Amino acid sequence: MNFIKYAAKRFLRLILTIFIISTIIFFVIRVIPGDPALVIGGVDASPSDIQAIRAKLGTDRPLSVQYVEFLWSILRLDFGRSMISDEPVISLILQRFPLTFTLAVLGLLIGILIAIPLGVLSAVKRWSGWDYLGLVFSQLGMAIPSFWLGILLLLLLAIKFPIFPLFGADSPAGLVLPALSLGVGRAAILLRHTRASMIEELSKEYVVAARAKGLPESVIRYKHALKNALLPIITIAGIEFGYMLGGAIIIEQVFSLPGLGRLFLYAIYQRDFPLIQGGVVFIALIFSLVNFVADMLYSIVNPKIRLE
Amino acid sequence: MRRVLKHCILPGLFACIFAGVLFAQGPGTLVFGLSGNPDTLDPQKTAGTLTFQVVKSFYDTLVEPDQSGKIVPALAESWSVSPDGLTWTFRLRRDVVFHNGQQFTSKDVKATLDRIVDEKTASPKRSEFSAIKEIRTPDAYTVVLSLSQPYAPLLASLASGWGAILPSDLIASGHNFAAEPVGTGPFKFEKWIRDSRISMTRNDKYWIKGLPKLAKVEFQIVPERAVQVQGLGVGSIDALEFVDPDDLPILQSNPKVTIKKELTSLIMVMAMNCSREPLNDLRVRQAVNYAIDKQVVLDVAYGGGKIGSTFLDTGNAYYTDFSNLYPYNPEKAKQLLKDAGVGNREFTITVPQNYPLHVKAAELMQQMLAKVGMNVKLQLVDWSTWLSSVYSGGNYDFTVIGHTGKLDPDGTLAGYGAGRYVKWYNATVDAKIKEATTISDFAARKKLYTDALEIMANEVPFVYIGTSYRYVGTRSNVFDFRMTPNLDTFDFRWTEMR
Repeated sequence: MNFIKYAAKRFLRLILTIFIISTIIFFVIRVIPGDPALVIGGVDASPSDIQAIRAKLGTDRPLSVQYVEFLWSILRLDFGRSMISDEPVISLILQRFPLTFTLAVLGLLIGILIAIPLGVLSAVKRWSGWDYLGLVFSQLGMAIPSFWLGILLLLLLAIKFPIFPLFGADSPAGLVLPALSLGVGRAAILLRHTRASMIEELSKEYVVAARAKGLPESVIRYKHALKNALLPIITIAGIEFGYMLGGAIIIEQVFSLPGLGRLFLYAIYQRDFPLIQGGVVFIALIFSLVNFVADMLYSIVNPKIRLE
Repeated sequence: MRRVLKHCILPGLFACIFAGVLFAQGPGTLVFGLSGNPDTLDPQKTAGTLTFQVVKSFYDTLVEPDQSGKIVPALAESWSVSPDGLTWTFRLRRDVVFHNGQQFTSKDVKATLDRIVDEKTASPKRSEFSAIKEIRTPDAYTVVLSLSQPYAPLLASLASGWGAILPSDLIASGHNFAAEPVGTGPFKFEKWIRDSRISMTRNDKYWIKGLPKLAKVEFQIVPERAVQVQGLGVGSIDALEFVDPDDLPILQSNPKVTIKKELTSLIMVMAMNCSREPLNDLRVRQAVNYAIDKQVVLDVAYGGGKIGSTFLDTGNAYYTDFSNLYPYNPEKAKQLLKDAGVGNREFTITVPQNYPLHVKAAELMQQMLAKVGMNVKLQLVDWSTWLSSVYSGGNYDFTVIGHTGKLDPDGTLAGYGAGRYVKWYNATVDAKIKEATTISDFAARKKLYTDALEIMANEVPFVYIGTSYRYVGTRSNVFDFRMTPNLDTFDFRWTEMR
């Protein structure tokens, strides 16, 4: 019973979050200058043509009417049609989502594969050559902008040695360089956290106790300390992943990839209200749902949480 | 396990990667680098240049401009206009079929024009067709347009991208032309992956026999300039419509790349808000004109061009040169500013940040104006803000922009003198521009336009920077890629890859 109550409470919070976010985005994009009818009509359309476009888009109606209509459509999970391309917003988003998702997964995977072994090695062999290597890598990884790395990778591996395509993601090969450019930045952040977290764990009392018990050092490090050290890393990796799901705009731009980032960027440039709203609500929904599921799992694993 | 990895999986993976790279494009395919994704492929629901550049290959118009800009027959093999200018009769070709197999007849012309003027379509070009009172189709290959008043610019509208003829049966069934264009054009639509590429294949039943020559054209959407240039350099891209002047040295040194320089039909201007003090004072506008070295702006920001002196592209048949009026003369500018009592007043040049060339031009002009003692700052805004705040809202001092050329001068001039975004009012100019739409005789029209353009040249609501060059880059094995004059659309009909 307790669980159902807890789940219901969390779910209401999710609905409230989505409601607040949709309201904010609805008004923000209408307050800033810009009119989709002018974007469609361009500089040569006559005022009467612009008025006809506004009437068709429905932007000539009072804001309150538009807002109620928008809330009603969100309730039905109907994101409407793009004002600029006249295509359903949801299909535009779903066309791009697989690519963005794949890119985010690959970027994170590369990040983890680099960061965790190097971070652990750095922590275990503090102030050794490995540690300095790790520190230099993370410093560079954070300092180098991903678009610059992307262009360098293209120049080297698509132009000088044409191993990978210069643009597009028609073949899986097209994703290698963008994922690498994304992954290096993630790796740099994760490496720092892994190192710090591992050092902290290794200095804890249970490690001393384990050593006193005579457990082999490898068991202490990799079975006990690493397991605990990874917990905060998973949280950070999750946040990074969520961030990448919103689209890695710069990487998509450099590698000419049709991902969510570019879709939303141009939607903002063109004041495509339904697409901006749909995009924001879609991402907020995914974020909230993932959080909701995580909360539920936590509460099953640790029933104490429900009471707090 | 290690063996399996070494002998099967790894070689397999590399083979896949190489195959992907090598066979991405088939033979006879031209890959064209496009800098952005068109908003829609429906020619009647947008004003976006990218859309018209792409859909030019899917559709035909009743008439079209030839390479000299003269309007010649296309889907209509001939046309005539009654002496009073109120009845236009078009005789249609009989050998044209749409991509869906439907025969092209007068029914399609009527359905298309009805679609444009229908308020529900909300076409941004609807006003251009509003003179049409009635469309009659006496037989399958004749269309008669009755106008409510003589309107000479109609022919240019019919020849422009938005005059594209759509099949009547698909219009009736509510076909989604935005996503799946069907026309009579030289290429058939194949696939559009948004923000990635648009593919099209040859229309074997095209009405000009022997054309098009290419089997396939693929528009590859590459937003990053550096990638476009590198792509053309290594051959991943066969043609680029616009090469930034800064990238010319890299490409010109590549023997496998050909750069063609041609005069555009753009009218580059710095517009002045004539309703604002002190820009409502003619002396101040004259001072600004004297202060700007137009040739330097053209050369440094736009990669060269021909300086302008009035509000029309310098290559236009209706253009008259008035460049003796305001030659570069900073001393005279200082004097005029002093006379007008401008002092240390602050001005702003508002520029759309998505046009780096205009931003560069604005920076140059800011420096030139500072030299004559004007206090000018720069403000960058995004395109939507520019449209609503500057162009439509009139909330600016100066702005730098390029007006695209039009097939008919009315497309450029309509509304000036009556307060378009420069907020400059002149009843004589307004009347002459309006009168010119009712006459079809070239000499008589030119006389009216010259009178109007002379007043605009004298009263300078703009700094007429001029018309810039365009650098089209192609691989050296690409021949006869054409751009339609004034409309700047891509014409692949004659293009060949040898």
